Amino acid sequence: MKYIPYFIYMVLLGIFQVILRDPTTIYSAHINMAALLVLMLALYKGELAAMWFGIAAGLLIAAPTPQLLGWTALVYGLLGLVGYQVRGKLNLESLYSKLIMMLGGLIVIEIAGLLLFGTDSFWLRLPTVALSSAIYTSLVALLYFLVKEGRVTIKKIKALF
Amino acid sequence: MTWISNLFSRYWRNVHLGVAAFLVVVLIYGDVTVNGLVSELFVRVFHYPFNTIKTAVAELTEVSQENDRLRQALVDASVKLSQLEEDRRENARLRAVLGFEPPAGYGLLPARVISVAGERVPLSAVVNRGLDDSLVVYQPVINEDGLIGRVRSISPGFAYVQLLTDPANRVASRVANSRGMGIAKAHLSGSMFLDNFPVQEEIYIGDTIITSGLGGVYPAGLIVGTVKSVDRPEEATFCEIELTPAADFYSLDELFILRPMDP
Repeated sequence: MKYIPYFIYMVLLGIFQVILRDPTTIYSAHINMAALLVLMLALYKGELAAMWFGIAAGLLIAAPTPQLLGWTALVYGLLGLVGYQVRGKLNLESLYSKLIMMLGGLIVIEIAGLLLFGTDSFWLRLPTVALSSAIYTSLVALLYFLVKEGRVTIKKIKALF
Repeated sequence: MTWISNLFSRYWRNVHLGVAAFLVVVLIYGDVTVNGLVSELFVRVFHYPFNTIKTAVAELTEVSQENDRLRQALVDASVKLSQLEEDRRENARLRAVLGFEPPAGYGLLPARVISVAGERVPLSAVVNRGLDDSLVVYQPVINEDGLIGRVRSISPGFAYVQLLTDPANRVASRVANSRGMGIAKAHLSGSMFLDNFPVQEEIYIGDTIITSGLGGVYPAGLIVGTVKSVDRPEEATFCEIELTPAADFYSLDELFILRPMDP
């Protein structure tokens, strides 16, 4: 039973990758939902859960390109592991420290993605794809944190209007 | 057995890390077949179902857009068809009047009906000819079926035609065969009668009534209508004769104004 939530995360990730990724892409900046979920698990769950989910998420997003399965699984698995270690070592409590960790992790994973999926015009794609996608995904993470910590609620949004 | 459990829990994390590392190494350096199987598994479970939904939605959207395009095309085609149908009807009418000959000494001025006025029965019509075309009041107006009326008033760009259906418009007429004379006039009900026709004159249902040429407005020989019914009351001087007008006053379109030709 305890694996069902992770399977649901995988299903949601599949839905996002296949259906929602393109509509949510702004120019070349996309939401890296796999990395976001792995880092969230690293922040709120255990080390092994984050690592295994990272491996599974890597396999899911690299499924259309079988030759990259291993490398992608490795990168996302390491992201889960390192994310958990950073959380443990730095004892992240504040919203901004979590956000900085997310941003750092996302930048690393995006650069790794660039290297894995194609190094053509790397320096051009670094700011236009990697950094912009990392920032875009961090904004989504910020929204999640704000909602999770109760700083943004439906009541407060209604009060604005 | 407890020591095994303790050993496992102590090294549980390392076992996981080892298995994960082994899996990754197999996927990186292993046989292509393994990667293919894993890839197929993930594609089948996490990609294919949603891809099917995405494709279905895209097709549905495309069908919807195609439906809108076809609907628009249908409306366009319908409008064009209506236009063509109208052109065909106009063509048929014009063909019918092509061989139409005016009475001797008169010329034909084609005119198009702009509007028709009247409550239950059309009593007058506006045509697109006027002072600019040198029209004169009381000039007869006809179409290919017969007499329509006369020009009643004229403006620079258009003229009012008083139709035969107007009770104020009386036409000196005669029976084409027997030459007996009377006055054709309409009632407000829309029916047309031949008045002042003596009972001793010959007239039969179906006889053609034409203008007599008396009165100076209408030239002789224009078809007014046909006899619909004849009643000869006892001790009466005149017959009661109902006519069927030659022209259909409910569907007037192209008309001709008769203008005397210069001698």
